[in-house]
Amino acid sequence: MALLELHNVSKSFVGLMANQDISLSIDPGEIVGLIGPNGAGKTTLFNCIAGFYPPTGGRIVFDDEDITGLPPERICFKGIARTFQIVRTFKDMTTLENVMVGAFCRTHSAARARKKAEEILKFAGLTEMRDQVSAGLTLAGKKRLEIAKALATDPKLIMLDEAMAGLNLSETRQAVELVKKIRDKGLTVLLVEHVMEVVMPISDRVVVLDYGVKIAEDTPANIVKNEKVIRAYLGEGAYAKSQ
Amino acid sequence: MYTAEILAQTLASGLLMGCIYALIAVGLCMIWGLMEIVNFAHGDMMMHSMFMAFWLWSLFGIDPLIAMPLIMVILFVTGVLVYFIIIKRVLKAPMLAQILSTFGLGIFLRYLAQFLWTPDSRMVQEPWLDGRIDIAGVFIGVPQLAASGVAIIAFILLYFFVNRTELGGALLAVSEDREAASLMGINSDKMFALGWGIGAACLGVSGAMMANFYPITPEVGLLFGLIAYVAVALGGFGSIVGAFVGGVTIGLVEALSGVLVAPAFKYVFVFGVYLAVVFIRPQGLWGRY
Amino acid sequence: MKKTQYLGLAIAGIAAVAYPHIFRLPFPHHLMIMVFIYATLGLAWNLIGGYAGQVSLGHAVYFGLGAYTSTLLLMKWGINPWLGLCAGVVVSCLVALLVGYPCFKLGGHYFAIATIAVGEMVQQSWLNWDWAGSAIGLNLPILEEGLKNFEFHSSKLPYYYLGLVMVGIALLASYAVDRSKIGYYFRAIKGDQDAARSLGISHTRYKAYAMVLSAALTSIAGTFYAQYVLFIDPDSVFPMMLSINMCLIATLGGLGTIWGPLIGAMILIPISEFTRIQMGGGGTGIDIMVYGLLIIIICLYQPRGIIGMFKLFRK
Repeated sequence: MALLELHNVSKSFVGLMANQDISLSIDPGEIVGLIGPNGAGKTTLFNCIAGFYPPTGGRIVFDDEDITGLPPERICFKGIARTFQIVRTFKDMTTLENVMVGAFCRTHSAARARKKAEEILKFAGLTEMRDQVSAGLTLAGKKRLEIAKALATDPKLIMLDEAMAGLNLSETRQAVELVKKIRDKGLTVLLVEHVMEVVMPISDRVVVLDYGVKIAEDTPANIVKNEKVIRAYLGEGAYAKSQ
Repeated sequence: MYTAEILAQTLASGLLMGCIYALIAVGLCMIWGLMEIVNFAHGDMMMHSMFMAFWLWSLFGIDPLIAMPLIMVILFVTGVLVYFIIIKRVLKAPMLAQILSTFGLGIFLRYLAQFLWTPDSRMVQEPWLDGRIDIAGVFIGVPQLAASGVAIIAFILLYFFVNRTELGGALLAVSEDREAASLMGINSDKMFALGWGIGAACLGVSGAMMANFYPITPEVGLLFGLIAYVAVALGGFGSIVGAFVGGVTIGLVEALSGVLVAPAFKYVFVFGVYLAVVFIRPQGLWGRY
Repeated sequence: MKKTQYLGLAIAGIAAVAYPHIFRLPFPHHLMIMVFIYATLGLAWNLIGGYAGQVSLGHAVYFGLGAYTSTLLLMKWGINPWLGLCAGVVVSCLVALLVGYPCFKLGGHYFAIATIAVGEMVQQSWLNWDWAGSAIGLNLPILEEGLKNFEFHSSKLPYYYLGLVMVGIALLASYAVDRSKIGYYFRAIKGDQDAARSLGISHTRYKAYAMVLSAALTSIAGTFYAQYVLFIDPDSVFPMMLSINMCLIATLGGLGTIWGPLIGAMILIPISEFTRIQMGGGGTGIDIMVYGLLIIIICLYQPRGIIGMFKLFRK
């Protein structure tokens, strides 16, 4: 029984077809990677699911409920959390306070929100930075805070938008560990990534977009051999040469 | 009894005032279009250009029409200075700081004027552009006609500048996509400064022309600023054509409601337009929102 | 709270209560009463502006609505000012929602513009509204002195203590907001609205809460003012100047802090009063000019105002 289902989702902006007829389904407990060259429409799809704009066509079903066109705050309530590609922390608030904002999603009590936030900070390895104003964190810290905030809303599905971008090797490895921990906790993960070394090892399945259309969906092992995918990334000429 | 005469008279004066509002609105729109900042000091900057015109006339006998180019240049420089001293520093700050800083500037300018020149009303006496002419039974003030003519010309020049010249194209590029523009080698900092300069220059032109016929007090800026915001909202934040049309429309609304309802409530109607825009079509008639 | 903070609070409380007995002339009493009124206004503005980050540039409208509602109810129908106070709160909250709601979904600048426009519009229209006193204003009927009538004539002391209670309520409200979910949500909306929404925050709902809370407090101050001065007119309760002052007091003292607006009022009001006396009430505007500059400087360099400077100092 799928957790998230996309049925023929399309999104166009004045004349530009950013997503065209995309269908996919994600089962509970999976880690699904969403990849594709720049401009393929990955973030647009993300934003449609997350409610930032309604799709122009198709339906999105989450946990057996039609969530198409709901605003972001309701989507969060239903159990989908997301991070942003360009980190969006609440700059004037401390790390702890940032996560508390997420925790308040499920409680009215400040004490309970604080307790939950402390747990999440521990889980994400941010306890040391707890009282630091979030504007002063390193990029890796901010990216982890993004994830922590999202986790605090108690989601069933967490969508990570390029959570590894800009990190060095060891930071990336730590981030990957965090993603695995998240899945081990019972959450489902959809991640958009450019860094292939990250996506391939941790994903159960990979979906590939190109020019707004889904061109492939398979296990990582098979995706790298898929000729459409190779062509999309390397271009026709390179593919022809490789034959 | 509203005769056709009164109606025609009202429409005419509304149209003329509207053109001036339009130029003021265009200035505001330029700044907004480039960096998404509303200049809450816009009206007060114009008020100062009106005073400049007045003092140049009062102390040196220079007619406002002659003074206009000078005032336009002074305001251009002022706009650029405001950008570098204040605006540049709040570009990355939260909206609260952006709004409050231009608001603070507006207050400073308003009470600076009151401190320097008292709240008394001033008027230029017997400027070159004076008197009324009769067009088909409708009496039109010469200064108003000239002011709106200048406003229209200024707008056309600006439109061509933005859409047909290379520099103008750079401005457009920055307003549409700052990152892409910088990839093409366009310095957004300079473009922003230019935008502020042009926006302020519009105020220099309109202020100097209005000094020919409008009573000048430190408080006038507030009202003109307000009208400019409504005009830009109506036309659409981001489209200078929209801002111009918006300004003319507001001029008409103001004039008509002043006559058809009551002069005391004409601004209720102007604000009503704003509410209508916000409720029905936030992006305005032309705008990018 | 730490022990030192409790101690500080206790000292401040004792000083506040003892003040009118140490300084026994009417002027120091009047000064502090004005401080209390403005502090309440600043604290009210701080809720929507400082915490939620929505800039209202015409907040005086709620002050005036509070003052006029209770006064008109008293004058025309003999309704007790305390009930009038509640009525004023209701009216102000309704207007706040009316002004704010359409604009909440749009950008902050739409809201700011709407608030200026409403402020100007109400003031202009009121000047022509004869039933409500128009430009001439309303003189409140002189009633028998006492708490029930909300009027005191023999001394300003009761007004002082009532004002102190009013500020206390405003401070308590700020404290409650600061520590609770609503405060965190306000700050999240101010910090990054889209990020806030993706964490489940309905920004329109919370902006509405902020507006209502803020308008209610402002309105209370308005009724208090009417009962204290016993005369109101559009120029005293609706002017742009008042809106500017509210904004300035909160900004100078420290946006988004609990004590900031109180400190802002304690600094600005005495300065205002003294410059007014020095300059013979001529209203040259030099002080407001300086205020405008202050707002700019604060925005550029120390958005957290005096409290921010104080905290920096301690480090």
